[in-house]
Amino acid sequence: MNDATQPPPVLVSMDGLRKEYGDTAALDGVSLQIRRGEAVAVMGPSGSGKSTMLNMIAGLDRPTAGAVTVDGKDLNGLNETGRALFRRRTISMIFQFFNLLDDLTVLDNVALAAQLTGVRAQQARQRALELLDELGIADRRDLYPAALSGGERQRAAVARALVNRPALLLADEPTGALDSHAGEQVMDLLIDLNQIGQTLLIVTHDPNLAQRCASRIVEFADGRIVGERTLERTP
Amino acid sequence: MSAVWRTARASMRRRRFQTAVIALVVMFSSGTVVAALALLAASSGPFDRVFAEQQGAHLTATFDPAAASDAQLESTADLDCVAEAAGPFGQLATTLAVDDDAAVEFPATIAGRDDPAGPVDRLDLWEGRWAAAEGEIVLNTAPADPGDPGAPLPVGATVRAGDGTVLTVVGHAYSFGQTADAWVTADQLEAMGPTAVQMLYRLDDHDTAADVEAGLDAVTAAVPAGSLTGAQSYLALKERISAELGIFVVLLTVFGVLGLAVAVLIVANVVSGAVVSGLRHIGVLKAIGFTPRQVVWVYLTMVSLPALVGAAIGTVLGHFLAAGAMSETFREAGLGNPVVSPWADAAAFVGMPLLVLLAALAPAMRAHRLSAAEAISAGSAPRSGRGLRAHRWLSGTPLPRSVSLGLGLPFARPGRTALTATAVALGVTTATFTAGLAAFATEIDGLIQRHEAAQIEVVGGPGGPSGATGLGDQETQDLLASLPGASEVTANLRMPVTAAGFVQSAELWFIRGESSRMGFTDQLVDGRWMDGPGEAVASSKTVHENDLAIGDDVTLELGGRTATVTIVGVVMGSGTGTVYADWSTLTDLTADVDGLGHPISYEVRLEDGTDPQEYLTALTGAGLTGQSTRQSDAVSIAVVGLATMFALMLGTVAALGVFNTVALNARERRRDLGMLKSIGMTPRQVVTMMVTSMASLGVIGGLIGIALGVVAHREILRLAAAASQIDMPASALATWNAPQLALLALAGLAIAIAGAYLPARRAARLTIAEVLHSE
Ligand SMILES: Nc1ncnc2c1ncn2[C@@H]1O[C@H](COP(=O)(O)OP(=O)(O)OP(=O)(O)O)[C@@H](O)[C@H]1O
Ligand SMILES: [Mg+2]
Repeated sequence: MNDATQPPPVLVSMDGLRKEYGDTAALDGVSLQIRRGEAVAVMGPSGSGKSTMLNMIAGLDRPTAGAVTVDGKDLNGLNETGRALFRRRTISMIFQFFNLLDDLTVLDNVALAAQLTGVRAQQARQRALELLDELGIADRRDLYPAALSGGERQRAAVARALVNRPALLLADEPTGALDSHAGEQVMDLLIDLNQIGQTLLIVTHDPNLAQRCASRIVEFADGRIVGERTLERTP
Repeated sequence: MSAVWRTARASMRRRRFQTAVIALVVMFSSGTVVAALALLAASSGPFDRVFAEQQGAHLTATFDPAAASDAQLESTADLDCVAEAAGPFGQLATTLAVDDDAAVEFPATIAGRDDPAGPVDRLDLWEGRWAAAEGEIVLNTAPADPGDPGAPLPVGATVRAGDGTVLTVVGHAYSFGQTADAWVTADQLEAMGPTAVQMLYRLDDHDTAADVEAGLDAVTAAVPAGSLTGAQSYLALKERISAELGIFVVLLTVFGVLGLAVAVLIVANVVSGAVVSGLRHIGVLKAIGFTPRQVVWVYLTMVSLPALVGAAIGTVLGHFLAAGAMSETFREAGLGNPVVSPWADAAAFVGMPLLVLLAALAPAMRAHRLSAAEAISAGSAPRSGRGLRAHRWLSGTPLPRSVSLGLGLPFARPGRTALTATAVALGVTTATFTAGLAAFATEIDGLIQRHEAAQIEVVGGPGGPSGATGLGDQETQDLLASLPGASEVTANLRMPVTAAGFVQSAELWFIRGESSRMGFTDQLVDGRWMDGPGEAVASSKTVHENDLAIGDDVTLELGGRTATVTIVGVVMGSGTGTVYADWSTLTDLTADVDGLGHPISYEVRLEDGTDPQEYLTALTGAGLTGQSTRQSDAVSIAVVGLATMFALMLGTVAALGVFNTVALNARERRRDLGMLKSIGMTPRQVVTMMVTSMASLGVIGGLIGIALGVVAHREILRLAAAASQIDMPASALATWNAPQLALLALAGLAIAIAGAYLPARRAARLTIAEVLHSE
């Protein structure tokens, strides 16, 4: 339907976003728009507010001032329950340290996220298994996270993030805890996902990751956007 | 809901230890609550309960059978003030001797009754059967376990009545109202020649002495003049029983309330520990889309499921424990066989899980409020500067590095530190308090029974001992003193005497001999023990009731003669009108002590190291029977036993709570441990550090706990005693001594160390990679 000249619709929109922790401002007036299908990398020194911004987009925390709109929904207008319900279907996150539930097996970790949206247990496990298979860790499905390698854990986390087919995938240093080989694999995974239309927002210190995955790089410093450039993807 | 259930179930499965601790704490608590509630129910008004169970007689009247006909007596049942009546039953005052041992003879009132039941005085026929034929007799005995010392005559034994009739014991029944000492069939009694007939009445109005008096007047007016020969009100018996049980009821009440309070506090502590240690878990749940409400449900399920299981098991165990303990305590006191009310069961089974839910609600609401971002980061690393400063200061001290690091750890996470220290303090407070109560029970028991001072009691009849010695009163006392091992012997005669200015008549206790050596001095709450003629000591209740003070004179009057005594001391005791006086006061009041018709008993204090059993044997050899005072106080033995049981149960709950909190705290630090090992700490240093950190909390919590426990013990007992108008000697409240307290403090420390040591050692054994790997 889309005319080739018309840009895809905006998925995430931040306007004058500000977040204070006591005296320090972690975010100091951030405005940014992300369109559907884009892959945006956020880079910047440690403590510059990158994770904080991600938390605001995911609705994990409330901004002190400013607005965040995701898929046309103003997150400030939702209470915590509303944000949880919205997050389930629209936004997924992967973390540097995976944050899998230690008490559940890999399969259950992934299936649980699907069950939250009302999918029945049987179906949820089926979908989880398909994803694990695609990500190449189906044989690890009955192990607990503690028994997996870092790369395997991150792939399980990606499977969990994808199980509800989210409009937006947020990744906070997804390769930060992995060696270069495992990091490569996760990177390839993200590129493939973007190729089939998944919108990505990746926080990273790794210029290589940013170069390879992103179509746009946003530079952060002291809670502000200090630079932005669009890339020609090098396949 | 199923995502919630799945998550909660997985969490419970993976945190088996914590789940088990919650179940165990709730189990012990529910058990304690059932037992406590049952005891409270049973011991509040034990008299009224048993009296009501037996439909006891408010008024027992005896008549001259020659002056009033049976029909005339039966018609008194129709009087307006009479609710129910039983009788007339023939009655005979005689003696009973054990047939094959003529030496053991005791005075007895035998009544003729064909039926142990009836509208009034329903007897508890607890062994054998009722007398059905001539030659059979049922003895009035408080239920006891067979084989107990002082057990009654066995069924099948024969006794000989004063008129020579030989009777076979066919059963034992218990009349709480003590309407007779034994029963035979009506025909049998007729054959023996009754000296009186008795009527038993339950009255519509019976609350006060005046009510019962009015009932008696109505009965007297309805029968031929002069036919009433005696009457007894149930209120006298009630006085006596309440006086004996008073202090113990206070004690059990305190235990019951304490059990409830401790259970609630410790459950709350354990539950909030579970939530605090699950912060990161909460954050992750929220990040993947659990609503705040769902997170709350996960946590409530995680604690209430084990709580339900624990409550079920605990209620059943507590039920049987309480039933067993109570039936012993109360049966031996002649207070019937109370059942554990289903209310107690229900309250524990429903109430404890509800309490757990309530306790979990506060921390669960915290989980509700916490933003996901905050929860995830709170779970992973401390970000407090206080910890750093403390570390820096400690590292400047000459302590080993692992110790100074361990001492600094608690500063890094003040919230968790407070929780752990609270758990230790709570545990030690409980242990201190309960150990104090148990010691107090023993102490007060010793004070009341005086069995450290007066080890042997010989009960005699009027004018001297019963039995075949043929000795007079003074001769008996001399004989007792001459037996080997005797250190001091006193003769005691108790009787009501009119005292000027007393609201009721005084219950005088005349003592001949060195009464100051018989343990009374320990009972003093004020003044001194009497020291010769003209002096007297009163129970504290007597002093309160009659507004007396030390130095007051009291004029006693008996049969027209008077004697004046000066109050020189006050002893603990809830006996109404109890006054102790010297024997010379008795001889001032009457010239004929034997003619008073009141039995004289003797108390013997043995020389140190004398075996009471040996003395009793010598006593029997001399033709007298006595008993050890220690054996006769089954009630207090049972109460002390119960107190100890409570102390143990509450102590276990407290220990579990402490262990759980410490272990949780230690487990959480595993990642820190891996980190420290990665920078070169040895496993031994890691364990030292962990144990030091928890031990420092153990010491602080322990000290606070002991201080609180001692204060609580003193203040709560003082309040309870004041509420029940019982004064206690200071010695009874000061049951503490330094070694005991030190031991309790050490116990708290030991639990904290044990709770830290096990998880620390496990963590120390893991390779660095494993610890860091498992996040
Ligand atoms: N929960 C919090 N409480 C207090 N301060 C916080 C909190 N979260 C973040 N901050 C502060 O906000 C600032 C930005 O933190 P943020 O985690 O967003 O940085 P970052 O850019 O993700 O850094 P890194 O690259 O090291 O992950 C920092 O100064 C941090 O100390
Ligand atoms: Mg970050």
